Amino acid sequence: MFSNTEARVKPARLDRDRGLVDAARRDPACFDALYRKYLAQVYSYAFYELRDHHAAEDATERVFMQALTGLPRFEERADSFADARGAAKVSGEIPADASTFRIWLFRIARNVVANERRRDRRRPVASLEHATGLAAADDTFETAAAREAGSAAWQAVARLPEDRRRAVVLRFVDEMSTAEIAEVMGRSEGAIRVLLHRALRSVAADLRARLG
Amino acid sequence: MLGGSSRDARRTERYLDGLMDAEERGATEAPMDLDLDPAVLYAARELRAGLVRVHPSFRFEEGLAARLAQAAGAAPGTPSEQPAQVFGSSIAPFRSPRATAPAGPAARSGRTTARDALATLAAPRRLSLTSRPSRPLVVGGVGVASAAISIGAVYVAWRWSRASQTPMVRAARAARFGRAYAPGHGRRAAVLHGIIGVMS
Repeated sequence: MFSNTEARVKPARLDRDRGLVDAARRDPACFDALYRKYLAQVYSYAFYELRDHHAAEDATERVFMQALTGLPRFEERADSFADARGAAKVSGEIPADASTFRIWLFRIARNVVANERRRDRRRPVASLEHATGLAAADDTFETAAAREAGSAAWQAVARLPEDRRRAVVLRFVDEMSTAEIAEVMGRSEGAIRVLLHRALRSVAADLRARLG
Repeated sequence: MLGGSSRDARRTERYLDGLMDAEERGATEAPMDLDLDPAVLYAARELRAGLVRVHPSFRFEEGLAARLAQAAGAAPGTPSEQPAQVFGSSIAPFRSPRATAPAGPAARSGRTTARDALATLAAPRRLSLTSRPSRPLVVGGVGVASAAISIGAVYVAWRWSRASQTPMVRAARAARFGRAYAPGHGRRAAVLHGIIGVMS
């Protein structure tokens, strides 16, 4: 029979990448597993943010290099992650797929992409369409970009304000929960919920206007 | 007390969670929420279908993996030490002392780590720029073509130097020899010389 105190104690939910992170800390060569797992997610995030194939590759490289060198300083923060989510902790809705490593990685990605955008503003280069035209024929990117370029949804998202677009990309492309997006973007969960809701309404209005 | 906007935002979040879960389960039908704004439902489905995850090229993926391995200290070589491409062929390095050296402490102890495995996999394909005996051997392309030309020239020289077994061929060669090397004797003398050659 459990006492009230025991009943309230919840098992500590650990980072689902804990094993991989520990292995990479012991032997940096094992970082390869984390790299392969998150490459497409990080690259997609960078690509949707920067809208340029080459810039996305540069950003992806910087993200993983920084993650590799900063791994010894990474701290698993399962408790603080739950604390930061406030209401979710009260209701006990800790997502089973929460990964503080992924959040940490995407925070690096957010900083790298922000730096890249600042640099691009100072020295503008090519647009997404231009980059698509120049892409090599064997690139997977070209196929995906051609499909996306023709997609009304993508066009609508591209017209969203920066924070809404970022939240939409993290939600739909990287399949993050609201709590994870809040951690990555440094906002409250409520703010992210409202951002996403408004983003969807904007996209709907855009699509409706486009399709008549 | 939640405001109307927050309530709608929460409802949208629940719908999105359901949409993602349904897709993960492989459900054929998307979840439905009759209280949710139809425009939001429509936009959510469009975005779910339209915003695909983009994967970088395989070349980039493997290149970055190599650079990360190098940064991790797993691969002692540099990216420039990868085999160079020469007109569609590759350069195979001669074995260098580095390639034959023991992989490391783990190999000496009989335990193979991922680091050693990576180093072992990378070693035979790597050209050492620091060690001396790495004169490359070109396999395919230009190398094969020049070798074929050399072999052909040797074969033709050998055929010309080799006496044929057929009498007619020997006679013809003798007549040709006579024309070439005895021009002062005239045509008849040359033919006679050839016949003598055949008879002998």
